[in-house]
Amino acid sequence: MTVAAVAASRSFASSFCAGAALIWVMTPGIVLVGIVFGVMASTVGLTLAEAAAFSGSVYAGGAQMASLQGWDTPVPLLFVCLTTAAVNSRYVLMGATLRSFLAHRPAPLVYGTLFFLVDATWILAMRDRDKGYDWAGYLLGGGLIMWFVWVAASIAGHAFGQLLGDPHAYGFDFMLAAFFATAGVTFWRHSRRVAPLVVALAVSIVVQKLIPGPWYILIGALAGSFMGIVGHARPA
Amino acid sequence: MLARPDVMVAVVLLGCVSYACRAGGYFLMRYVSLTPPVEGWLQAIPIAIVGAILGPIAANGGPPEWAGLAAAIGLTWLTGWDFVGIIGGIAAVALMRWLAV
Repeated sequence: MTVAAVAASRSFASSFCAGAALIWVMTPGIVLVGIVFGVMASTVGLTLAEAAAFSGSVYAGGAQMASLQGWDTPVPLLFVCLTTAAVNSRYVLMGATLRSFLAHRPAPLVYGTLFFLVDATWILAMRDRDKGYDWAGYLLGGGLIMWFVWVAASIAGHAFGQLLGDPHAYGFDFMLAAFFATAGVTFWRHSRRVAPLVVALAVSIVVQKLIPGPWYILIGALAGSFMGIVGHARPA
Repeated sequence: MLARPDVMVAVVLLGCVSYACRAGGYFLMRYVSLTPPVEGWLQAIPIAIVGAILGPIAANGGPPEWAGLAAAIGLTWLTGWDFVGIIGGIAAVALMRWLAV
């Protein structure tokens, strides 16, 4: 797998439509997680409008649910900001990988598109990286669909979620893991590199036991990805 | 009560934190030139993120989570379709919890 995406051979409009069409395989999972978030939000006393604004503004299931774990009145701002930053720190790395995909597009379009970057759209972009899309269109198309589905599911969960019972019993909390396990298979097929995977697994497990909070994601991913430098650091 | 000002301030603040994560990595790479070591690092990021998210889930989980991971990976491997792996993984977790394994 090469870093640089193949030069765009498809228009913005056709890439936008492709991104929007391909993302539907990921939406059932987002609906479930959104419903769970809506239920949690109503449990800690957020109003429907607040829950909807939360999902529309933050647009990150893992970070939102982790923030709700420590929600209180008044809101503990430092705690929720640090939690959100820790859970979403993976997006810093994802954004770095997208530089070569987007750098030739206008900055306002790119920075607007990045607001809608989510795991699912990034996973699909990495999978399709050699298909010559206009990546701003591809990521924006998928990201907008996911955003609307996410906000709608959060509202539905807040309004009706209690009827479902315990989301744990349905395995909804396993969503993120299922996402990344399937993505792992796709990434593995692109490049069979053992060291980054093994180091990330080991470091994240150790860090998670030593440091409270979700920082293990960033530290494990950084440690693992640095193994990629080792393989490439031979003299030119 | 529709929305309280202090909650909305927190929500907007968290939105800014999230956006800083989404845009920050892309922005910073503007100042990094794509030398072979940097390319090697970027290439290793996807699989490393997978490892860092799944490691603690596998280590702290029990039979339901292990079955879920096995189902998600196995089904995606066999069918080549992400959707089957995701739904299969969640279904395996739900089934194992229902069986109270």
